[in-house]
Amino acid sequence: MSPRTIAAIATPPGKGGVGIVRLSGPLSRDIALALSGRRHLAPRYCHFVTFRDRHSQPLDRGLVIYFPGPHSFTGEDMAELHGHGGPAVLAGLLAAAREAGAEDANPGEFTERAFLHDRLDLSQAEAVASLIEADHDSAARAALRSLDGEMGRLVNELDEALTELRVFVEGALDFPDEDVDLLGEGQILERIDDLLGRLDRLRERAAGGVRLGRGYRVVLTGRPNAGKSSLLNALAGREAAIVTERGGTTRDVLRESVAIAGTPVELTDTAGLCEAEDRIEQEGVRRARETFYSADLVVFLVDAAVGWNEEDFAQWQRLPVDRRHWLWSKVDQAPKGVDGGGVSTVREGGLEPLTELLRTRLLDAEPQDALGARERHLEVLERARGHLETGRQAFAGYGSGDLVAQDLRWAQEALGEITGRLHSDDLLGRVFATFCIGK
Amino acid sequence: MGQAYAVLVVGGGHAGVEAATAAARMGARTLLVTHNLDTIGQMSCNPAVGGLGKSQLAREVDALDGVMARAADRAAIQVRVLNRRKGPAVRATRAQTDRLEYRRAVQEAVLAQPGLEYLQSSVQRLWIEGDRVRGVVLPGEVALEARTVVLTTGTFLAGRVHRGSDREDAGRAGEAPSQGLAEWLRAQGFHVERLKTGTPPRLDGRSIDWQRLDPQPGEEPLPRLSAEPPERRLPQVPCYLTTTTPEAHQAVRSALDESPIFSGAIESAGPRYCPSIEDKVVRFPDREGHTVFLEPEGLHTPEVYPNGISTSLPGSAQEGLVRAIPGLEAARVTRYGYAIEYDFLDPRQLQPSLALRELDGLFLAGQINGTTGYEEAAAQGVLAGINAARRDQGAEPWWPSREEAYMGVLVDDLVTRGVDEPYRMLTSRAEHRLHLREDNAESRLAPVGRELGVVGDTRWQRFEAAQAELDQLLGILEGQWLDPQQVGADRAEAVIGGPLSKPSRLADLLRRPEVGLDQIARLSSIWELEGFSAEIRERAEIEVKYAGYIQRDRTEHQRLEAELDRPLPKDLEYRAIRGLSNEVVQRLEAARPGTLAQASRIQGVTPAALSLLRVHAKRRVG
Ligand SMILES: Nc1nc2c(ncn2[C@@H]2O[C@H](COP(=O)(O)OP(=O)(O)OP(=O)(O)O)[C@@H](O)[C@H]2O)c(=O)[nH]1
Ligand SMILES: [Mg+2]
Repeated sequence: MSPRTIAAIATPPGKGGVGIVRLSGPLSRDIALALSGRRHLAPRYCHFVTFRDRHSQPLDRGLVIYFPGPHSFTGEDMAELHGHGGPAVLAGLLAAAREAGAEDANPGEFTERAFLHDRLDLSQAEAVASLIEADHDSAARAALRSLDGEMGRLVNELDEALTELRVFVEGALDFPDEDVDLLGEGQILERIDDLLGRLDRLRERAAGGVRLGRGYRVVLTGRPNAGKSSLLNALAGREAAIVTERGGTTRDVLRESVAIAGTPVELTDTAGLCEAEDRIEQEGVRRARETFYSADLVVFLVDAAVGWNEEDFAQWQRLPVDRRHWLWSKVDQAPKGVDGGGVSTVREGGLEPLTELLRTRLLDAEPQDALGARERHLEVLERARGHLETGRQAFAGYGSGDLVAQDLRWAQEALGEITGRLHSDDLLGRVFATFCIGK
Repeated sequence: MGQAYAVLVVGGGHAGVEAATAAARMGARTLLVTHNLDTIGQMSCNPAVGGLGKSQLAREVDALDGVMARAADRAAIQVRVLNRRKGPAVRATRAQTDRLEYRRAVQEAVLAQPGLEYLQSSVQRLWIEGDRVRGVVLPGEVALEARTVVLTTGTFLAGRVHRGSDREDAGRAGEAPSQGLAEWLRAQGFHVERLKTGTPPRLDGRSIDWQRLDPQPGEEPLPRLSAEPPERRLPQVPCYLTTTTPEAHQAVRSALDESPIFSGAIESAGPRYCPSIEDKVVRFPDREGHTVFLEPEGLHTPEVYPNGISTSLPGSAQEGLVRAIPGLEAARVTRYGYAIEYDFLDPRQLQPSLALRELDGLFLAGQINGTTGYEEAAAQGVLAGINAARRDQGAEPWWPSREEAYMGVLVDDLVTRGVDEPYRMLTSRAEHRLHLREDNAESRLAPVGRELGVVGDTRWQRFEAAQAELDQLLGILEGQWLDPQQVGADRAEAVIGGPLSKPSRLADLLRRPEVGLDQIARLSSIWELEGFSAEIRERAEIEVKYAGYIQRDRTEHQRLEAELDRPLPKDLEYRAIRGLSNEVVQRLEAARPGTLAQASRIQGVTPAALSLLRVHAKRRVG
């Protein structure tokens, strides 16, 4: 008798923006294909898809990843459907999976299957998930997140390349009487540059994956009364924000999840930017500016009826250069001669220009090979990069091996937060395997 | 029979000597028992002290007022500083010594040590009562009472020598093996394992064609290992270099079926960093030659130690190998090389104080713990001696952390990771290598050593004076400023290779990669700078240049380790933790790590496994 294919919502309720429906068993691949509408799924690869039910009705957009057994979490064929929607959408995904042949998993059944298939290492994560949840130990939780798929493979590759370099460096330092002197041959800078290049590429792709995973963050900004709140309401399809004809209406940061061009977007309405006197308004402006740091795109609205003025310019200058974009608002009131490229919340089709902007600035710019990564991974890669960079400088400046060796060690310690620590003794093992060392 | 001894040390090797003298320096009434007083301080293998990681250990022993470094300086006949250009953190002094002179120097130090008695006798067994040690029993059932015992009799415990298909029970060449102790340890239920190592054949220097070989002279001025300047030094002689040849490899290859390693007669693990010539030839068949260092064993003996061709082939094959090496065509073998298998006690049964976890008052140091090398043995000896004396005083045990000393790296590695080959120190084992340098060994350890009572007055006074001088110089460098106007652009360009854009502290200038203290002195015309000795100037320069890095190292370390700096319950039941693999459970049970940080260094402990431990520890501790 072939085992059941089980399905369950894997994300703890109320945690984060992404929800995962996890499948395990022989039908996993078929179900994933059916729901994603794809004809092929590359193993361990994040495909960005639209999930549809049996009647081809779209349910959500997100990632689908297929993990063939036996090298999966449970040891069986598995698939993960990463959606962005809330609990209701996730429940819809799960129902669709059931329709396609999956059965509800019993509590702990994934872990149990993992144990049964001797997948102890990875199953450790699941086995203690509940304990950890109870302990609110975020560091432990972060460490537990298993790394599957392409991302894991690439980080491990990078780690391996770094190990190889360290084998040469440490070998040259600890065995000066042997002929393994890479330091003297100056190849070391080249190899660090190579590592830096690979790391950057990986980071870019991982960042893409992180954005896909959590949805885009778009902030609406502009001078008071520019029409930010009206635009948010129009896109959300409800009166989420208070709108008045007076400037300074919005004081707080307000977030709404909407779908634009079929993509989940977290839209943020903020207080109008101005040199405020009022304490409350000042605080509003401060909070508005804070949202710019983590935004993928900052849309600066300029009232078409008024046009650009000096204050607009002053505020525009302070926006993050690489992510700012401006649009006319209230173009229905624009005097003749003003370029038509802007939005209107009263005119039919008046939101199209924003939709178009998001498509070109975000969706099309996304690397096609985004990786299933998490924010924490980005942070780790960033740190590893910093160490490689200082190591490079140290070697270029001092030319002495002990400093660069330390930077390489730290870079590897950083990657170790994803891949696991490499003990110095294991590194030595590699040195001995690579070179004929010893008197 | 008199009063009980506070500390009784068994064994007169490098560990035993340091243990006994350290305990005596701390005021403990100490007895050193060894089977032959004349062999105290004997170098059983190649007579060299120092090298990567080892010189740092020797200096740390020295900083605790130990014997080894001073004896090595006195007996040195060729000294080099390795890695001079690769940075101060990996700089290592290595001294080839005269075997006889070294032994003499050590014996003098032992004889001169107040409060230390010695006795020539073998030891029948330990005297145990319940779970604590009471002393030792000598032949004829003579009991010697002691409140603590340090065992350092590990030199080839239950040794078995292999050469070709011959095998014979022996300690190191020519000495009786200490069979009894190994058996006794096993019978007590301790975990005893076996290791292997080897030696090259020794040669008669008078039969070597020196003219054809490259000399490798030592350095001038003569570097030293001890912070204490030696009274006199021996004349220096060079080592020589030669290399194996394809013919030599052929000689090895054709005798491989007689090699006990390849025939399976030896199963235990040998050191990866010191492979036999058989290993080298088999594992790296493409290499046409391997370097051989011809090292003199002393000034008054023609014997030569050919470092690099350790072998356990039959004697005739050894001769074939030697004679295919340039310069050695007519060389006579004086002692044949051999492989030796011996017992050691799995050091994961020890506390970092080197006390056995299960037997109160018994300390182990040296090769018995699975290490190799004089320096490793000496470092453990000092530590065990200190802790035996402290145990007797009712004081808490002491050991340095991995951030403080190579000694700390050594004991932590031993008690958490255990060993699966003879453990040799290397600098890459130290995460905090930039801080654990030769030049600052005394600053790192002498103050704590003084507090422990193991550092004597003479050394302390000299250390304090040197430290004051260093601090004074550092004070000048940190406190004095240079003004661009006062210097002038041309002079700045000429002396430090670039302009001085703003008023700068001397220390900041010194941090520039291309700038040294000499240039600073010239540029600033601060006459005080000239008054410091070359040694102090060099130390200050290193301190200043490395300060930023070491600070960064600390922050990084704290960031990583803060989370791991949590104690693990002593009685944590690893088996009950669902999700840990069997292998990891076994390793954890053997080492019983005291903290998460220690656990993280155990083989196979992944981030996921650590999280499991963290969660369980937290649940238990609350
Ligand atoms: N004609 C026209 N009026 C608009 C449009 N969008 C907004 N308005 C009006 O402009 C005024 C201000 O709109 P809000 O959306 O409150 O502007 P805001 O930028 O959020 O203002 P603050 O929150 O005060 O900074 C209101 O009276 C809106 O009805 C539009 O597209 N066309
Ligand atoms: Mg508003």
